[in-house]
Amino acid sequence: MLLFRSEEHVRQWCEARGLSEGAVFTPEQMWAVAKPWHGRRLERDWRRFTLDEAEAVFENAGLTGPFWKFPRS
Amino acid sequence: MLATAPVDDEVRLHILRELIASGAAPRVRETGAALGLSESDAVAAYERLAVNRVIVLKPGTRDVLMAAPLSAVPTPHVVRMADGQSHYGNCVWDALGVIAMRGMDGDVETVCADCRSPLRLTVRNGALAPSNAVVHFAVPAARWWENIVFT
Repeated sequence: MLLFRSEEHVRQWCEARGLSEGAVFTPEQMWAVAKPWHGRRLERDWRRFTLDEAEAVFENAGLTGPFWKFPRS
Repeated sequence: MLATAPVDDEVRLHILRELIASGAAPRVRETGAALGLSESDAVAAYERLAVNRVIVLKPGTRDVLMAAPLSAVPTPHVVRMADGQSHYGNCVWDALGVIAMRGMDGDVETVCADCRSPLRLTVRNGALAPSNAVVHFAVPAARWWENIVFT
């Protein structure tokens, strides 16, 4: 995932590579994910989120829909 | 997932702390020596951490490429902390995660992936300063681990 000056720059970048546009969102939403995702990594009892917990982090940041779902297999 | 061993937490913390302190990830043998582990036990811990996606190893080696949120190699996502230290994040998500993990003010210095103009994200007192930039994920969550370097 990458940072861009604006959505127009995302479109240009995707067009130049023949890629479909993925998910575009704000740095504030990224910060809202990064804090719970990485904030406890230096704690001894840190554990990876379960898939449900990870999806809840996305949802709490307003990142919803199929793009943000992990496969269950 | 592989079953974790108690030593895995020690190895994970040692890798992160060394990356923070020096910018370099410790080799298996160095970690073993620092933690009083046999080389075979240290190797096993690195391999469990990699299989469990806690660290990413450079292909064909047991050298750390990523110990999220830190990168063991230079990236375009530089994190400058309030204590004067600098780190590399694997992506903007991880770069912000470095600030969250270290629990202090910091800036992410990166560039627009399209035009390469400089972009900065600033965190002060736990809050992200307003920014006109946007984040783009090219790959949906279900496919992130097909190639974690490109998401």
